[in-house]
Amino acid sequence: MAELTAIQASQVSGGRDRWSEPLSEAPADGEAALTEALREVLDPELPVSLVDLGLVRGVEFDSGVARVALTFTATACPCMDFIKEDVRDRLGREPWVRSVEIVEVWDPPWTTESITERGRRELARFGVGA
Amino acid sequence: MSGPASERSSSGMSGPAKPASPDRDPDPGPLARHILSLADSKRLLGIRYSDWLLGSPSIETGIAASSMAQDEWGHARLLYSMLREFGFDPFAVEHERPAARYYSACALDGEFEDWAALVAGVVVVDGALEVALESLGAGRYALARSRVPKMLAEEAHHRHFGAAWFERLGGAGGEAAERLREEAESMLPGTLAWLLPADDVYEALAAEGHVRPEAQVRRRYEEQVGAVLAAVGVRIEDVEPDRNGWDAERRRGPGAPAEEAVERARGDRNRALFVE
Repeated sequence: MAELTAIQASQVSGGRDRWSEPLSEAPADGEAALTEALREVLDPELPVSLVDLGLVRGVEFDSGVARVALTFTATACPCMDFIKEDVRDRLGREPWVRSVEIVEVWDPPWTTESITERGRRELARFGVGA
Repeated sequence: MSGPASERSSSGMSGPAKPASPDRDPDPGPLARHILSLADSKRLLGIRYSDWLLGSPSIETGIAASSMAQDEWGHARLLYSMLREFGFDPFAVEHERPAARYYSACALDGEFEDWAALVAGVVVVDGALEVALESLGAGRYALARSRVPKMLAEEAHHRHFGAAWFERLGGAGGEAAERLREEAESMLPGTLAWLLPADDVYEALAAEGHVRPEAQVRRRYEEQVGAVLAAVGVRIEDVEPDRNGWDAERRRGPGAPAEEAVERARGDRNRALFVE
């Protein structure tokens, strides 16, 4: 079976045109640094951070391995692969991150209650109530 | 991470090699059979909803059918992926089986003939799937317990959609109500058999705490859909499951889904383009 080599991410997918430069050295608190980096990854459909949308359910960092627990707004979310790609690319650009592991989680289910206050304000700027 | 190669390699098993798919295994176990039955039914139900994305009574309601179709395929994907824990390859299960090895409910073998049939299908068949899913999610299987609540949250929208349309068409009387009644009566006996098979496989599942006992499931189904069906004079309490020709292995009655629908479910025409 033929297999596509990779998803071709657009230059702006996940807000990557506004991503920060990688840290010059490994941070003292890897998990906090990873979470800050994830704040820069935007949902592909609405320019709001995955963290503020409540899609990031956990971050771990151990021996260069970043593990991110992600959920999605719907079981058939059409952006799952884009989001995973953006998360891998954003964290993977940090030289102190050797690999990125993503775990899909569905419990508890995502609802609009999962959105942070900052996320609600951002959504409101785009005319979306939550 | 989520490409087909990684899906296949991650299904590597220790111990004796197993067939790629539970339908080829002489004894995949009751739970794997049950999950496959749910997954295949959702995959086919998504196809049946998608048949009416266009040509429904309004553009807006076609969009609702589109959303429900997407939901069903999202649920199917989560259910198929559970089979990896049983040593089976979800990719092979999803994309390589012929129609004769599908475990889907009989009511989904052919298209919903018209919008009344779709509405009856939402209430009768999707309603049965919701109750079966709820039962599995309340059981001992951890992966189901963690995934089913999200699916049920999405299913609630289907239930409200079906009830609203059923009330609308049923309340209109005349041909609309008559078609609804015909379709509901046609779907119910086979769907009840799918939900309440009364066989050894189901008894084993219930005994192991993976699903609720059939009496509870029937009561729940009657609570969920009974009042809706009553709008066209169908008394669910009076309907007996039609278990003639029940295939305990495939968890369904006789026959198989239409080949054309299975070709779409497998993604035959885009096989070379799969990205997940």
